Parts: sequence; C-alpha cells; structure tokens
Amino acid sequence: MKRYIVKRVGYALVSLVLLSITIFLFVRLTGDPAVLLVEPGASQADLDAIHQQFGLDRPLWVQYGRFASSLLRGDLGHSFYYRTPVLELYLSRLPSSLLLAAAAMTFSLVIGIPTGIIAAVRVNRWWDSAGKIFALLGLSLPSFWVGLLLILFFSVYLGWLPSSGSGTAAHLVMPAFALGWYFAAAHMRLTRSSMLDVLGSEYVKLARLKGLPEALVIGKHAFKNALIPVLTLAGINLVIMVNVAVVVETVFAWPGVGRLLYEGIAFRDFPVVQATVILGGAMIVIVNLLVDILYALIDPRIRLDR
Amino acid sequence: MIGPRRIRLTALAAASLAVLLIATPAAGPIPTAAAAEGQATWAVHITLAPTWFDPAETPGIITPFMVLYAMHDALVKPMPGRPMTPSLAESWTVSRDGLVYEFALRRNVRFHNGEVMTAEDVKFSFERYRGASATLLKSKVAAVDVLDPSRIRFTLKQAWPDFLAFYATPATGAAWVVPKKYVEQVGDEGFKKAPIGAGPYKFVSFRPGVELTLEAHEQYWRKPPSVKTLVLRVIPDESTRLAALKRGEVDVAYSITGPLAEELRRTPGLALVPTHFMFTTWLVFPDQWDAKSPWHDRRVRLAANLAIDRPGINQAVYLGLSRLSYSFIPQGMEFFWTPPPYPFDPRHAKQLLAEAGYPNGFDGGDLSGDTIYGVAIGEPVVNYLQQIGIRLHLRPMERAAFFKEYGEKKLRGVIFSGSGAPGNAPTRLEQYAVSGGRYTYGAYPDVDGLYAEQASEMNPRARQQILHRMQQLIHDKAMFAPVIEPALLNGVGSRLEVHGLGLIANHAYSAPYEDLRLRRP
Repeated sequence: MKRYIVKRVGYALVSLVLLSITIFLFVRLTGDPAVLLVEPGASQADLDAIHQQFGLDRPLWVQYGRFASSLLRGDLGHSFYYRTPVLELYLSRLPSSLLLAAAAMTFSLVIGIPTGIIAAVRVNRWWDSAGKIFALLGLSLPSFWVGLLLILFFSVYLGWLPSSGSGTAAHLVMPAFALGWYFAAAHMRLTRSSMLDVLGSEYVKLARLKGLPEALVIGKHAFKNALIPVLTLAGINLVIMVNVAVVVETVFAWPGVGRLLYEGIAFRDFPVVQATVILGGAMIVIVNLLVDILYALIDPRIRLDR
Repeated sequence: MIGPRRIRLTALAAASLAVLLIATPAAGPIPTAAAAEGQATWAVHITLAPTWFDPAETPGIITPFMVLYAMHDALVKPMPGRPMTPSLAESWTVSRDGLVYEFALRRNVRFHNGEVMTAEDVKFSFERYRGASATLLKSKVAAVDVLDPSRIRFTLKQAWPDFLAFYATPATGAAWVVPKKYVEQVGDEGFKKAPIGAGPYKFVSFRPGVELTLEAHEQYWRKPPSVKTLVLRVIPDESTRLAALKRGEVDVAYSITGPLAEELRRTPGLALVPTHFMFTTWLVFPDQWDAKSPWHDRRVRLAANLAIDRPGINQAVYLGLSRLSYSFIPQGMEFFWTPPPYPFDPRHAKQLLAEAGYPNGFDGGDLSGDTIYGVAIGEPVVNYLQQIGIRLHLRPMERAAFFKEYGEKKLRGVIFSGSGAPGNAPTRLEQYAVSGGRYTYGAYPDVDGLYAEQASEMNPRARQQILHRMQQLIHDKAMFAPVIEPALLNGVGSRLEVHGLGLIANHAYSAPYEDLRLRRP
C-alpha cells in the first residue's frame, strides 16, 4: 500500500511540474502583455520600461527558473495588472467561488438526483423523456446565454432578483442556477444510468420477489448503491466548479476565481493566469490522488493490480 | 552701476517679455454648500486596478483618469471649457527662452488626511512619477526647485515646447500630487491599499476587480461634492451592465454598443450619452513606398479614401454618434489641422483606379486589424473597397499580436490602425508618419524635414503653421485613409441630474466628480 501511495504521489507531482511548464509556455505564446498595459501608439521606451519592470526582458529559461523557485517557496508572483501578490488575490476571490460552487452543487444534486431516479424508475415513459430533455438542454445550452436570459426575465422583466454582483442570498440565485444546470444534467444522467444498472441487478430482483414495497426497494436498496458513482463525480465537479466558472462569473459580475482567470487572460496577466491554472490543477490532482487512495483502501485489487 | 529707474525698467521689461500665462483660478475660496448626500453608482466596463490609485504609475491610457479625477488632483489638468486649467496651481509663467516654468500653488489645499499640500509634495510627486513617458519627461528637466511652500520651478535642459503637453494633460500623471509624508510613511504598496489624495473624493474601500467605494471630501478646494458616496462597480458583460441600469442598480453604465445601445436609446427614462476622447482609426498603406505596389500610386490611395462611406459606418456601428474622421490625428488634439472631408464618391474612386491602370480593380492583400475595432469598422471598410474593385481579405488579429506585428513592421497590404495615446499632433506624427516612428512603415522627406523644424520652434504660432503644413502634405499625398473617431456610448439613468459625461472635452468618463448632482425627489 505504501509503495502504491508513493507512486501515486510521484505521478501527482510530475503532473503538477508538467502543468507548470505547459501553462508558463502557453501564456507566453499569446503575446506581449506590455502592449495591453498601454495605449496603442505608446513609445518603445514605455514598452521597454514595462518589460524591464516585470522581468519580461530576460531569457525564457531565466523567467521560468524564477517562476519555479518562487513557486516552491509558495510565492505565486505579483499580478502585472493589480500589482499585488497573486496568492492574496486568489484567496480574496476563493470564498466567493466556494460559495457559488456550493450553491450550484446543492442545486445540481437536489434537481439532478431525484430527476435521475424518477427517469430510471419510469424508464421510457413521460418522466424519462422530460428528464432527457432537461439533461439535453442543461448540457447543450451555453451558460452565458442561460445567464443572460435569467437576468432578462428575473431582473429586468420581473424585477425579483439583482442583475449582478454579490453580497446577499438573492445575488446567488441566478449564478447558482446558471452554473448548476449543466452539472445537474450530468448528475441526472449518471443517476439514471446508475439506477438502471442497480434496478436490473439480482439483489433488487430478489428484494422485489420477497415482496418488499417498491419505495423501500428503490429508496433503501437501489438508491444507496446507485449513489456512489454520483457522489464521486460530484466531488470532482465541485473542484471544477470552483475553478472554471469563468463565463458565469463574468456574466453575473460574480467576484470569484473564474472571473480572476478571465481578467488574467484579458490583460495577459501571466502571473494571475499561471497561478489560477496551477492552483486549480493542484486541487484536481489532489482530489484525484485522494480518490485513488480511497479506492485502493476500499478495493485491494486496485493496489495489487498497479 | 544700475540705478533704481533702470532696475524698475528691467523688471517691467522682464515681466512683459516673459511669456506670461497668468491663469485665472478656476474657483475662489471653498463655497459653502449643503452637506453631501446620496449615492451614485457606475457600472464600469473594465477591471479597476489599484495602480490607478497612484498617479505615479499612470500607464498612458485614459482609463485611470476615471479614478484619478475622483481621488487626486493635479497642478494643471483638463477641466470643463479648458484643456489646461489651473487646479492645485493657481497660475504659472514660462520664461521667454522657454527654459523655466514657475507654478504658484493654491494655498491651504488639504489632502484627505488633513495635511496641507506644499511645493515639496509637488516636487516629490514629479520625482517619483514612473508611468508613461516618465523617461522622456524627466530627461528634459534639469532641475525642480522648491522656491517656497507655495512656489515651484521647473528648469528644462533645453527649450521643449511640449513640456506642458506632457506635464499638464493625461499624457502623463506627473502633475498629480500625492502627500510626500504619507507616501514615505506607508510605502508604495501601502499607498495603493489606502490612497490619500487632494481630490474631491476620499478612498473608503476597494475589492480588487469588484468595486471601489469613495466618499465626499467636504474640504475640497474647488467646491464640496454634492453626492456623498460614489461606487464604481465592475460589470464586465455589457448586457448585464444594461440590465443593472434598467433596474436602477447603477446610475451610469459605460460602454454599451450596437443593438444594446439601440435598446438603451429606446428605453424610457434612460439616456444614451456618447463621449469622445483622443481616439481615432485609419487605414495605413504600408506598401505605398514599393514602386511595384498598386498602393504606390496616389490615385489608388485617394480612391480608397473616396470609396469609404464614413457617415454610413458611423450610423451602422455607432448610431451616428461618433465623429467622422479625415485625419489620423484626433480633432481634439493640440495643433490639429482640419482637412477637407473626403466625399463618399465610388464613381470617382473607380475612375481614379482606371486612370491608375486598374480598371478592374486589384487584389489588395490583407486588411489586418485587431479583433475589436478592426472587425467592427474593418468589415464595412472591406465591403466598401470591394465595391470599387479593391479586393481585401479581412484578417482580424488578437490585439497584442496585432500591435506586435504592426510595430515590428511585418504587416503588408492594408493595416487598420487605431490609437488613443494621449499627447498632441507632433507626438502622433512622430509615431506614425515620420522616419523612425514606432509604427512608421515609410516616410516622405518633406514631412520629415518639417517635423525636425517644428521640434525646435518655440513660437507656438510658427510651430502650429509648420505642423499644419505637415498634416496638409500627408492629406495631399493620401498617405492614410482616416475612417472614424469612435465614441464611447454610455447609458445614464434618471437619478443623476448632472452625470458629468462630456463635461470635459475629450475625456471619456464622468468628471469632474464634484460637479455631479442627484436629481431632487
């Protein structure tokens, strides 16, 4: 088991190093940030001053060396645009992202799981078709469009909810719905397929043959087992929600990590983009690592096979 | 020996000979007014950066002045009716040889922390300035001397007619004054976190990228603001900005374009207010110095100018609210020469092409531009040129990549250029039309010669004549095809009686903030 864990941790570290190199190189492929910090037509002297100030006049390998050594010390650099430590910026946005992700996840589970169960129990009937349409729309409608429609309807026409910003529970409703719908659709589909698998299993058939009430068969015997993959997916989705709600956060002017990434990309703020991607990547790598270890603990075949 | 009469005469002569610019104060003592009350909220289209709280880091774009006009004040700055209005300086003089600028400071101006502003603060602010054109500005200044707490003198190394164009306009933030003692106490980073200035509004709080809250500085020297609280809220999406304006969550929404601007104009209770700033767009013909290129022929370049329906583009893209442009220099810039407008005359354009040997038109290559203006305005331009037979392929490029290739002189065909860099006509000419300019693909000896001549001309009138002649030559040669000076279209709600948009010529945003007024219920 120890060897397995060490191996997994090694993979995780290699993934993070590769991620840091990739993002470092990719952001630099996108162009010169100095151009976006001045007006078109700015003098070369002004551009040179910015290059010098941010160390962009150094060779690429020197820049990466500095970046990597700072990263090892826990220093994610200073934002070109905000001129503040990136970690400070990230941490100031993280609570908003966590709140939004938690709300969106609650919504996606509260909607996704019951509709998935109903669709599986009423397979190929009206409920199932409605569930499929719900899932199809959730997965295919772009979240910026959903967000704008929500604003138009609930803010402008009905005047029930604030159009953007943060601070109250009312501010959370529309962004949580816009972000949660996609994931609700994914959770609904997985719940449905998982439930169908379980409902077709021998022990459920036996429970029915024994004459157990249908509600008990579904609620106690089938649902519990069908829930495991859904919750595993939900855990990973929660991390994804925190880090990739770029569009939803931008449309609703929600002050989260996704919007920080958007701003970083828009202003070629290399340190912000690098830090956001690396921290997001680190979260996903850590969650995957924990899942791997938990699986190995639960199922010995996994650690013996690998 | 010099007698008293001689001394008096000399003094009189010096006084009359010196090029005096005794400016009248913009306002007298602090007028008494009712206490500030209420709140006004702006939906801002661009992310607010803490660097904008510190004039020392003004990056050469107009956007930070959205904040600077609230929190800080300058010796001289653009104000309603005057591009260079004495503010923290009551007046200034320029020596006849153009080497010495002396500013008399307004007395008893207080920073937000109660400290009185002095000449030491002005000197300190100039010396710590490190933003746009800092190197250029400081390279021209030999010494900054504090004569007494309310008088400061700048001595230049050699006569530089553009000193005020750089010092006293948004070209730099060097004239915006910060409190020396406080900055030394808290440091640069501390200053950005809790800035203190001499402007009409005090810093209250800032959530990076989210919201800036300011409160009225009742002791502001010009007049006490009438609105108690200002909130600048960042809302990146323009549909959301419009929704927030419609709901009354904000009072002003910056930058609403296209169909949304039309909707805004139709909405009862809301007003669409355009603002203009020193931004213009034009076509560059980089191949005009290549004898084999069709663009080498002046008639072809003139045909391109005549083929573009500028009013049509203005109507379609900016609801007719932008300024038409016939020069690559913005109309509001100092030393601008008004060229005769190019009529929209495709028939004449075709005739010119035929005379130049292209009766069936020609393939003009790419029209390279950025993904914002290069597409919105570039696309109709391509269509208009196509109608007379000049076939161009629109090549939208990401903004940074576009300006990189543009500056490295890698673009061919036609370039869709644009600039909002502050300055004056000579600074714009130097960048785009004179040999060695950052974006100059080629130049003409007569234009170059006149540029060198104006650089040492201290007489403003003579200098203006030279600069006008330069612009005339550029127009005659059809060196560029100017298109439009795009306006910033903004939405204003019904709560603000004075919203401040357009009060200061060529300033894109609401200002001066102390002039804002909420409508009485």
